[in-house]
Amino acid sequence: MDYQPIFNALLPDLIVVVSLFAALGVDYGYMRQASLKNRANRALQICSLGLIGGLVVLVLQLNGTLSLDYAELLAATHGQLMLSPGTLALKWLLFALGLAVLPLAARNMVTVQVSEYFALLLLATLGMGFMVTSRNLLGAFVALEVVSLSLYALCALHQTSRASAEAALKYLTYGGVSSAFLLFGISYLFGVTGKLDISQVVPMEEALVRAPMLVTVAYLFILVGLGFKIALAPFHLWAPDVYQSAPTPVAAWVASGSKIAGVVLLLALLSPVSMPSVNTAIIPMLAILAVVSMAVGNLGALRQVNIKRLLAYSAIANAGYLLVAILAFTEEGRAAAVYYAVVYAVATLGAFAVVAILSDRLGREAQIDDFRGCWKARPWLSLALLIFVLSLAGIPPLAGFVGKFYLFFAAIQSHSQIGYWSEGLYWIVALALGFSVVALYYYLKVLKAVFVSEETCKLEKDSIGWPSGVVILILSVITVGLGVWPGPLIEFIGQCLI
Amino acid sequence: MTALLTVIISFLGAMVCGLMPVGSHRRIRWVALLTAGLGLATAFCCALRYSGPGMADEINSTWIASLGVSFVTGYDGISLPLLLVTGLVAVSGVLFTWNLDHRANQFYAFYFVLIGGVYGVFLSLDLFLLFVFYEIAIVPKYFLIAIWGGAKREYAAMKLVMYSFGGSALVLLGMLALYFGSGLNTFNLLELMEANFSGGFQSVVFPILFLGFAILAGMWPFHTWAPTGHAAAPTAASMLLAGVVMKLGAYGCLRVAVGLLPEGAMVWAPWIAVFAVVNIVYGALVALRQEDFKYVIGYSSVSHMGFVLLGIATLNLTGMTGAVLQMFSHGVIGALLFALVGTVIYSRTQTRMLDQLHRLIDRMPGIAWVFIVAGLASMGLPGFSGFVSELYVLLGAWGSLSGWIVAAAGVGILATFGYTLVKIHEAFFQGSTADSEGSKGVEQSDYPPMTLPEKAGVTLLLGASILIGICPWLLTNHINGSLELLIDRLAN
Repeated sequence: MDYQPIFNALLPDLIVVVSLFAALGVDYGYMRQASLKNRANRALQICSLGLIGGLVVLVLQLNGTLSLDYAELLAATHGQLMLSPGTLALKWLLFALGLAVLPLAARNMVTVQVSEYFALLLLATLGMGFMVTSRNLLGAFVALEVVSLSLYALCALHQTSRASAEAALKYLTYGGVSSAFLLFGISYLFGVTGKLDISQVVPMEEALVRAPMLVTVAYLFILVGLGFKIALAPFHLWAPDVYQSAPTPVAAWVASGSKIAGVVLLLALLSPVSMPSVNTAIIPMLAILAVVSMAVGNLGALRQVNIKRLLAYSAIANAGYLLVAILAFTEEGRAAAVYYAVVYAVATLGAFAVVAILSDRLGREAQIDDFRGCWKARPWLSLALLIFVLSLAGIPPLAGFVGKFYLFFAAIQSHSQIGYWSEGLYWIVALALGFSVVALYYYLKVLKAVFVSEETCKLEKDSIGWPSGVVILILSVITVGLGVWPGPLIEFIGQCLI
Repeated sequence: MTALLTVIISFLGAMVCGLMPVGSHRRIRWVALLTAGLGLATAFCCALRYSGPGMADEINSTWIASLGVSFVTGYDGISLPLLLVTGLVAVSGVLFTWNLDHRANQFYAFYFVLIGGVYGVFLSLDLFLLFVFYEIAIVPKYFLIAIWGGAKREYAAMKLVMYSFGGSALVLLGMLALYFGSGLNTFNLLELMEANFSGGFQSVVFPILFLGFAILAGMWPFHTWAPTGHAAAPTAASMLLAGVVMKLGAYGCLRVAVGLLPEGAMVWAPWIAVFAVVNIVYGALVALRQEDFKYVIGYSSVSHMGFVLLGIATLNLTGMTGAVLQMFSHGVIGALLFALVGTVIYSRTQTRMLDQLHRLIDRMPGIAWVFIVAGLASMGLPGFSGFVSELYVLLGAWGSLSGWIVAAAGVGILATFGYTLVKIHEAFFQGSTADSEGSKGVEQSDYPPMTLPEKAGVTLLLGASILIGICPWLLTNHINGSLELLIDRLAN
């Protein structure tokens, strides 16, 4: 077996791994006596360089300079490397979002374990990259565990905070149980088909039809397991605590990166059952999860006073919206889910970034009321928050609106001619639209604090620092850009799925 | 391209105003006046250049190809009066808030985003685009009311936004149904008009779309956002709300719901007529009972919007011409009344409670007469635009709806006369100047006369109403022509 193609394919990851160890080594060797701030900056530089290197190589792979034989790689790795323009682009996006999280982490060092913080962030990013490129049941599971374990540890990094430790423990316990469910489901799926490579399972319609009960149970467990990871209700209980108590950049990464990776993995795992002959039993399960998530997320968010907790409930609600498109079981639905996951991740990362910058000198978790009168002290950050929050609420001309529209469009398209209201997906779209009205209420509550109040802002005014400033600028430009001109990305996603 | 300039100018104006420093409110208001003036001038140019009954100034380019969304704009005789009224209200709104200095840059940023959205709705010929502009207009309203509004502003702002957004959720659902029901894979309104929707489909989807839009038009029983919103809003915003934003809903009802689903409209028209009459009568009766001057005007708006809905429900040329004309007419008069009550009178008396305004006729005679004239215009006296439009609506209703509906609308008109005269009496002629002097001991001198910007704003709005009252053919010719095209389809 020739290892050269595999080396070429994994070069981006290798660069990131090298930078990860370089950051650890430099921090514990050369920088040992330096101040916390200098150590953070050095670790930031090394890790950013690693991710930038990875991004460059990914671009080379995408444009064909570094040629990869996708089919051969897939066969040689038993489905563990399903590279294609689509998955490579997703991996690029995850690396880029990871790069955006790093400066936020460097701004506010909550721990003396500087290099571990960054190394774990990179490790989580790597894992997410493998989650989107792996089509091997075990490979994907291992990637998911790499992400989860890194995130458990990251949550606990806020060492002076009891809440952080509690949240991490909660996350670990729930996450561990959910992994067990997922593995159990995977083993059933393997039992039915005898294959670990999902791309080979897809054509096995007869095998799946033959054992409907077993397939249903397998997917029930898989949905429970992945439902935990992407914060679907009723498996969401960890989310509000983790989002609230984890260091804000970590919460941002849980909300954005792991959401994209989780959704892509869910789509991959559901691909064997997308035929109408097998998905009749799966659709009700997904529909229930979608409705419960939208209800719990949106209604739960109404009462929140803590902004990160509110974003957690918004994440639960958005996971519910995502399922509406996945329920369609069409190409369009998958494209819509991916598009929505991307725009949601960008907007929520932006919102967390603004919250992190505004409140990391506060010494406690920020309440919505802490942002009162923010427009006076920080007009540009307030404007950025306006963009991100309105995008989450789905107001045009921002990306979130096109995302939601595309979700509903795809859902209805899957079964557009109906004779009775409960046929097709009109009813669930109507429900989702109703909940998006509720959602606007709590999003506006945040904006009300920021813009309406005339009080002097209590948040301390320290400089943003150019790396974080650039991150927020780019994220808001993307949020506006994908709203005004979504065509190219939608088409790209569409092409990649076919 | 000319017509689209209105949108571009407004958004550019919003950006420029937003970027100017807070302290420079003197310069900001000139920029705002320039922006609004350019918008009005553009709308006026469109009106002058418009001939024929079809669409003018069409722009058609693809936007999001895979979703069947294209960027199509243009205007016809139905949208033209609304473009004009938007321009008029925008300019006079700036004039009546001439003294605003609190966060003026943000005020005008939100103000012009709202106006740009409104222009956009009237120009859009693609459902998706229309919806985008429709929603762009929602969020600025929240901030305009919540930041610069009066009592209960946060409650009123949230209520208004919730109602509008709820309506637009219904519209979105209806829109998707239209897209997939037509099988044409397009949101283009002109192409969707050619689609053959089955009768059953039409009668199910029509109420969804109509209700979605009608919420913003203030249809009973979903009107309650309107009086509270209007009363809490700052003057310029309540002028826009009453003058233009409610027209967005009515325009959507006419252009989208009735225009695309004529058979559905036929099925539901009698019900709409009933709701419309309730609007007219209920709005007028409630206005009669209000103590706060702004609530009086708020409920009178609800009542007047009833005529628009009634005109739409007639589904004939006369009635629908009346509906469009009433949108224009109530746009200018409603805005004028809100300006007079919210700024001209309030800034002098510091109260809007009718029982605290004692014989204003003695102390602000000029303003009082202006208000009386505006009140007469609102009552629909001959010579003002309201007369022509209400006449059209009633004639149309006589032709196609049951006599009871027309009779009830007539009662509504009587009630309108009643509350207008009663409230004018309470505000300007009741009590005596001596009374309040005795009770309050405040120095009772004459209030200062109207300032120049106020005079300019009054002239603009009242002039428009009188001009159309005397020469209605200036607008009705265009409205008629374009509506005929729409009604031809109803007949088939």
